Amino acid sequence: MHPIELDGLTKRYGDVRGVEDLSLTVREGEVFGFLGPNGAGKTTTIRTLMGFQSPTAGTATVLGADVRDAAALRAARANVGYLPSEPGFDERVTGRRLLRYHGALRGDVRSETLLETFDPPLDRPVGDYSRGNRQMLAIVLAFMHDPDLVIMDEPTAGLDPLKQERFLSFVRAERARGKTFFFSSHVLGEVRKVCDRVGIVRDGRLAALEDVDDLLHRSGKAVRVEIAEPIEADAFALDGAHDVTVDGGGPEPGTAGAEEAPGAAGGTATAGATVSFTYTGRYEPLLRHLLGYEVVDLTVEEAPLEEVFMRFYDDGVAASPEPAAGTGALGDGDGGGP
Amino acid sequence: MDADGAARTHGGPSAAAATWAVFRFEAERRLRASVLLAVGLSAFGLLFVWIVPDIVAGGNIEEVLASLPPAIVALLGFDTAASVEGLLAGEFYTFGWVVGLAGYVGYSGATAVSAPLGDDRLETLLAAPVARGSVLAGTFLALLVPVAVVNAVVPVVLYAGSRALGAPLSAGGLAAVHALSVPFLLTWGAVGVLSGVVVRRGRTAGRVVLALVFGAWLVESVTSISTYAWVGAVSPSRQFDAAAVLVDGRLDVAGAATLAVVTVAVLLAAQAVFARRDL
Repeated sequence: MHPIELDGLTKRYGDVRGVEDLSLTVREGEVFGFLGPNGAGKTTTIRTLMGFQSPTAGTATVLGADVRDAAALRAARANVGYLPSEPGFDERVTGRRLLRYHGALRGDVRSETLLETFDPPLDRPVGDYSRGNRQMLAIVLAFMHDPDLVIMDEPTAGLDPLKQERFLSFVRAERARGKTFFFSSHVLGEVRKVCDRVGIVRDGRLAALEDVDDLLHRSGKAVRVEIAEPIEADAFALDGAHDVTVDGGGPEPGTAGAEEAPGAAGGTATAGATVSFTYTGRYEPLLRHLLGYEVVDLTVEEAPLEEVFMRFYDDGVAASPEPAAGTGALGDGDGGGP
Repeated sequence: MDADGAARTHGGPSAAAATWAVFRFEAERRLRASVLLAVGLSAFGLLFVWIVPDIVAGGNIEEVLASLPPAIVALLGFDTAASVEGLLAGEFYTFGWVVGLAGYVGYSGATAVSAPLGDDRLETLLAAPVARGSVLAGTFLALLVPVAVVNAVVPVVLYAGSRALGAPLSAGGLAAVHALSVPFLLTWGAVGVLSGVVVRRGRTAGRVVLALVFGAWLVESVTSISTYAWVGAVSPSRQFDAAAVLVDGRLDVAGAATLAVVTVAVLLAAQAVFARRDL
C-alpha cells in the first residue's frame, strides 16, 4: 500500500476544470514534489485528497482509504498532517487555545518539541499574528500528532527565508525518520532541496513525473568562463554546450583591429571575454578545450531548475523534455508570487 | 507514544469526543455575549416589571386598544394587555424572545457554520480525524450556551425584581415560559445551521435567518386573527405562546414536543447537505 495513489483523479467545477485524469503514486518515505504554476490544479488535488471535496471522476487513496469513503478517510486522517499555504484560524482566540483544541481532535504527542523550532507567540490572539507566525502555528498543528504522511500546499509561502530554511531542514529530518510528504510548490529552490521525485502539473494534467536527481542531471551544468583574451563567438561550439553567449569585448569574427580597442581603453579587465553556456556533455572534452585558453575564472554550477521546468510549462515543448533546451531568462516565468 | 498509538488504531477521537471538543471550543466563545444578553434582557424585563403595573392601574389602556384595528392589536400582542402578565407576554417575550433572542440564536447558528466555510477555518478543523457531523453537532450544541444562560438568569431577575417591587410574578409561570422557550429557540438555531450550510456565504446566511424569524412572527401574528390562521401553523412562534402560559396558565407541551421534533429534522437535513457538499 502506497501512502497516496491517484487513479484517474478528475475534478471539475461546473465547466471549469480543476484537474483531469491524474494518476500517480507517492511512495513510502519519500518527499514528493507536486509542481506547477498557480492555477495548474495543485490545490484542487490536495483538497480532494483531504476529503474537502469529492472527485468528479476517478479516485485516490490516502493511506489506503478511498477519498470517496468519508468514514475511512476520516480514520486515515488520524495519521495525516495538513499544512496549507494560508491556514484559516479563529482570529479571536490565542494560539495556545487553538493548540489545545486541535490537540483534542488529533492528539498531541510532540507540540512541545515542535514549539522549540517553530515558536509563534502562543499567548496572543491569532488575529494579531504575522503571516509567518500563523504559518508556524499551522506547522505545529500539522505535525503535533506525529503523522506518517504530511500533505502540504505551498507551505513556505508565508515564511521568511530563515524560517523557510529551518522548515526545509525539518522536513529533511522528518523524512529521515521515515515520514512521507506530498509537497506542492512552485518554488523550485525548495523543491530541489527536499524533494526526491516530482510530478509536474500543467493545466490540470500531469505533464511529467521525474526523479529530481535525473532532472538535475539532465539539466546539465551552468558553465561560466572568463578568458583573458578576446575570442570568437563560435569558439565554444562544443558538443553538449547549449545557449552559448559571449560577452565582454569579444570581437565579431574577422573584425580587424578589435584587439587594439580594449587595449586603447587601458583596462585589462575588459580585454578578455566571458563565455557562459549550459553544458550537458562529459567534463573531459570541456576541460581539454579550456586548456587552449588563458582561463581567468571558471565556475561550473548546477543549471537552474527553472530552465528545466519551463520546458514542461511551455506549451510547445511540453511533450519533449529533451536535455538542456534551456532558453534563458526564465526565472520570472514560473508563476512568481504566491 | 502509547496513547498516540491507541489513537491511531482507533482512527482519531470517537464521534462523542470530537463533538465535545468542538462544543467546548465554540461554547467558550459564546459565553461573553450570552452574559451580556442576559444582563440586557434582565434590565429590559425589569423596566417592564417596574412600569407596567402603573399602566395597568391607569386603566385606560383598554380604551386605547379598542380604538385600534384588531390586526395591530394582535401584532403588538396587546390582546391580553389588561394584566402585568399579559403585557409582559405580549411585549417583553414577543420582542425579547419570539423575535429578538430567536433572531440572535438563528443568526449565530448560521454564521457559526458559514463563516468557517468562507475563510478556510473548516479545512483546518476537518484536516483532523473528525467527521463533518461532529463539527456540525458541536457547533449547534454550543448555541445552548446563550439559550441556557439567558433563560436561567432572566426569570430569576424578573421574579426577584417583581417581589422587591411588591407585585410578585408567578414563579411557576416564569419558569414554564422560559423552559418552553428552549425548544422554540433551538428550532431557530437549527434553521440557522441549515441556512449556514445551504447559503454558505458568511453574513448572508445569518440575514436569511433574521428575515425568516421576523417573517414567521409577522405571518403568525397577523393570520392568527384571520380565517387564514392555518398559514401561521408553519411558524415556530405558533408553538410558543408566552401569554397562554402567563395569563391562562396553559402549558403547550405538545407544541414544545413538535418544536423538538422539527429541530431534529432540520438538523438532520443540514447534516445530509453538509456531508455531501464540497467545502
